[in-house]
Amino acid sequence: MVENNRISARIGRIVIYTIVISLGLVCLLPLWNIVAISFSSSEAVTANAVGLIPVNFTTETYKLIMEDTQFWRSFGISVQRVFLSLLINMVLIVLMAYPLSKSKRVFKGRNIYMNLLIFSMLFNGGMIPTFLVVKNLEMLNTIWSLVLPGAVQVFSIILIMNFFVGVPKSLEEAAIMDGANPLQILLKVYIPISLPALATVALFSIVGNWNDFFSGLIYMTKVSNYPLMTYIQSLSISIEEMLKSGASANSLENMMQVSNKNLNAAKIVVSIIPLLVIYPMLQKYFIHGIVVGSVKE
Amino acid sequence: MKKDRKILKQMATLSIASMLTVSLAACMDSSSPQESATTTEDGKTVITMGRVTAANSKLPEGDTYENNAYTRLVEEKLNAKIVNQFEAEGEDYDRQVALAIASSELPDMMRVNSKDELKELVENDLIADLTEVYEQHASDYIKEVYESYDGRSLADATFDDRLMAVPATVGANAPNMVWIRQDWIEELELTLDDDGDSLITLEELEQTAKAFVENDPGDTGNPVGIPFAHWLNAGDYGGSALTMSSLAGVFNAHPRHYVKDENGNIVYGSTTEGMKQSLGVLNEWFNNGILDPQFGTRTWDDIMALLTNGQTGIVTGPWHIPDWGLSAVREMDKNAEFVAYTLKGENGKANVYHENPTGQFIVVRKDYEHPELAIKILNLFYDEIGNATDLEADYPEIAKYSELGVDGSTRPFNIEVYKATSTLDDFSDLIVPAVNGDISIDDITKAGIKTDAKTILEYIEDPENAETSAWSKYHSRMKGIGLIEKLTNEGTFNWTTPVYYGTTPTMEKKGANLLKLEEEDFIKIVTGTEPLDYFDRFVSNWKKQGGDEIIAEIETELAEQQ
Amino acid sequence: MSVQTAKTANLENAETMKQKKKWLTTNSMYHLMMLPGMIFLLIFSYIPMFGIIMAFQDYIPAKGMLGSKFVGLEHFIYMFQLPDIGQVFKNTMVIAFGKILLGTFAAIVFSILLNEIRVKFLKKSIQTVVYLPHFLSWVVLAAVVINMFSLDGTVNQMLTFLGLEKLNFLGSNSLFQPLLIGTDVWKEFGFNSIVYLAAITAVDPGQHEAASIDGANWWRRVWHITLPSMLPIILLLAILSLPNILNAGFDQVYNLYTPMVYESGDILDTYVYRIGLLGREYSFGTAVGIFKSIIGMILIISANEMAKKYTDRKLF
Repeated sequence: MVENNRISARIGRIVIYTIVISLGLVCLLPLWNIVAISFSSSEAVTANAVGLIPVNFTTETYKLIMEDTQFWRSFGISVQRVFLSLLINMVLIVLMAYPLSKSKRVFKGRNIYMNLLIFSMLFNGGMIPTFLVVKNLEMLNTIWSLVLPGAVQVFSIILIMNFFVGVPKSLEEAAIMDGANPLQILLKVYIPISLPALATVALFSIVGNWNDFFSGLIYMTKVSNYPLMTYIQSLSISIEEMLKSGASANSLENMMQVSNKNLNAAKIVVSIIPLLVIYPMLQKYFIHGIVVGSVKE
Repeated sequence: MKKDRKILKQMATLSIASMLTVSLAACMDSSSPQESATTTEDGKTVITMGRVTAANSKLPEGDTYENNAYTRLVEEKLNAKIVNQFEAEGEDYDRQVALAIASSELPDMMRVNSKDELKELVENDLIADLTEVYEQHASDYIKEVYESYDGRSLADATFDDRLMAVPATVGANAPNMVWIRQDWIEELELTLDDDGDSLITLEELEQTAKAFVENDPGDTGNPVGIPFAHWLNAGDYGGSALTMSSLAGVFNAHPRHYVKDENGNIVYGSTTEGMKQSLGVLNEWFNNGILDPQFGTRTWDDIMALLTNGQTGIVTGPWHIPDWGLSAVREMDKNAEFVAYTLKGENGKANVYHENPTGQFIVVRKDYEHPELAIKILNLFYDEIGNATDLEADYPEIAKYSELGVDGSTRPFNIEVYKATSTLDDFSDLIVPAVNGDISIDDITKAGIKTDAKTILEYIEDPENAETSAWSKYHSRMKGIGLIEKLTNEGTFNWTTPVYYGTTPTMEKKGANLLKLEEEDFIKIVTGTEPLDYFDRFVSNWKKQGGDEIIAEIETELAEQQ
Repeated sequence: MSVQTAKTANLENAETMKQKKKWLTTNSMYHLMMLPGMIFLLIFSYIPMFGIIMAFQDYIPAKGMLGSKFVGLEHFIYMFQLPDIGQVFKNTMVIAFGKILLGTFAAIVFSILLNEIRVKFLKKSIQTVVYLPHFLSWVVLAAVVINMFSLDGTVNQMLTFLGLEKLNFLGSNSLFQPLLIGTDVWKEFGFNSIVYLAAITAVDPGQHEAASIDGANWWRRVWHITLPSMLPIILLLAILSLPNILNAGFDQVYNLYTPMVYESGDILDTYVYRIGLLGREYSFGTAVGIFKSIIGMILIISANEMAKKYTDRKLF
């Protein structure tokens, strides 16, 4: 009896391990394939011959990227955007989460603010009116059009607000006794305690801003001003599209010379490197932050 | 106390609300007349532009779309500085135009890609009337160019007797040619085109394809029949690569175009009896193994791979396909050579249609102070530069661009304005004599043609070691345009003129679905999923789902123009 | 006596005054802290809201919002008559629901399985790998998906190898929705499993021990102990994801769709983008956008009410 159990337990264990490892591979291999493509020669890639190992190994693509000024300009724009957004997002998040975490009694009007924030999440004027506002503020083609419209991250504010609510009142009371004003309390008491949650929210801001491509499409009128993801998105012009739009033979010729799957793969690889670098560093924080934010009661 | 508080609160809310409404009006309303910086500090006129760019401009280091040899020329000759309001290509460009219209801030000049967009701009009174400035400023040569299309060019840009745009011209690219591996024909000792008129019959093509598949001259172990793109047809010859246009021509069918049938009724080419017959032929080929067995699911890249690998040696396309489509074959196989034929129709001729002579348009925004600059730029680039006798001496920077192969999209107007027969004329008058030695290369004044002739001679002198681009130019000019010249001179073209090139309202709404129906049903018929007679059901569906409405609309429009 | 009461009264008054003053400054500080954010919100969220006027006009950019003709509900009526809208709405629902249901299921299953992995190193590395796709943008992942699922891609190469027919994932209306749902689940199942895993580990191990002793096998323990303990979280997350139903994933669809699959892949947001912006039908596009927002609001408010009712937490 016990023997049977042991065997079935062992089989079960093997099955589970296999499934889990397969799932892990399913996540890893497609990405690995792109990396392999980026290191393979054009002909091999066109012939679909590349699997997990580069065929006709070459670093040509990466060399080309090094010389591609537009790629690095877009890279720089994205870095700048992430940096500025992070700053503005975090400042606004903590500034707003703190008062909102107070009860209605203590903070008159708290509910009005809350409702205003929530409503703004549910309802928006649409693409065109927002575009018109940005345009009339003369922010088109500037970094601010990528940063300011997304300055208030309501979801993150709610997350941190909930976290603040859970901070023991005693800490706050102690600070009040010492004569601290709300700003000081926020800085000295709440922020230090909420670092994991803040790290989570910071990660959301960084990732969201790095990955967003749509704002660039709408607010930038020239490729030279595109942030990185918008630039990469613009690379995917298919030859079918060009034929159907009546491109001249000359343009077709020129386009064929640069439409390299392997070059695009390399650009993609480089574009995710910053995330790959930050990600493991913040991994333990955000896991902790999410867990705490949701399971804790 | 509390009551006062309440009233105060209400008043505050009210005043804030009214302030908001006022600020909103200011913040979003952009209906005020557009002002733009009209002159730079040094007195140059500013022209803001919307530019259509291309993927690989090949501009030398330091030059951009806003600042290059062409824009500097405009500054020098016309004292005007070009500032780009937006630069984009493909769908991105359409989006930029839509956004510009939405914020009612059009650039001073921009390209518009279709007549419908032009119509919309005219109806919304957003662009300027160019009739007078054209009359006054257009050079004689430019006027000749437009006239060479029997007046259709300017007519396309004219609304209510007012010229509202500068039209681009589209030279004829007919026919859709069949390109076959010449080296394979020789290897297998096949004979094609006994009478030497460059027209081959269906049977000849079928036999060649069969020989290729059976003998595998590419030595791949996996030879494939003739490949076609899954969309099977295109609206013009320039974009006809991998289409069945030539085959349809055998039965005098012109898919995707509206033509008059024997009774004078307007029909859609894809629904004619000739179309059915040509699909029948394709189905036969499919069953006999001389058509690509994976037709319908193979992508463009797939087909190119087949060619490059040597799995297939027959492909259809326009005269310039060697420049961008077949060059890879040469890279893989130094012995590869192609010959171009077109299919002989039942009437013994090559049945072709006249393409839409007008491509895109350049428009000037309504209240721009210097609309004449548009005509002056037109003159500058398409007359002065185009006809320059000594580009290197007079316009050295631009001559350099020609050498580097800088993309034409870098010019202020990304359009072509050529006489209707310019491709052929340049070929017959300049390239052929130069290649034959009748004239010296240095006698050729047009820089682009000069380079072409030089490269072709390079190839002829040493075919094996010549550069791929030389091989390409040789093929596209000597074989491709050469074929057009031959058919023109021997009078073996049979031209049909479609009755309508535009877009009707129903075409806008249902056009995409009708095209999808056509593409999908044709694939079914060719691969045998449906029998040939299913074509009749396709025709009745097409008519029901919008086709009849479209034809009625075309008839109305044509009647109005009488 | 009265002097004494007066004095204490004064003292008390002074105290309350001080308290009031303090309270006042604290309160004003709160308002001050809210101010910067609210200004941004005003400019970028609330002012654009007035743009919905366009949906009730025949908006012509040259005339602006103050000058365009008012047409009432004309665009809304037109919208409901269009067969397209029904299809687009259906697509949005199907795709979104598919993602939520399948995604939740996959995340739960994965978390349960992952929990059984004892080899720490393996567990940690698998976690790192499966969390990764969530952090990548769809611009990047679309390239990966196209590489895998195109007619000449990896999946089809495998199918051909097994002697099966190729599948046109990216071009066929019957396969596109499953592709969208499947790849989105692939992207998110790892990240979504974090919360579930936390809930599982929060279960008192004593319960499992007791059940083992009583002879329950692994499956029984999962069914009777693990899953029930996760129920509150599962419910909460399911409810929290309802508001997103109408956002079936613009980024993903935009980067993967082509005209061939508009019929099955067009969601409300891509439809509005194509017709309302690219097609320059500004008024109509805004009307569809409003329609989406209203339904979204109804869903979110119902979700909040459900959360309040069935669990002890709420969104707001």
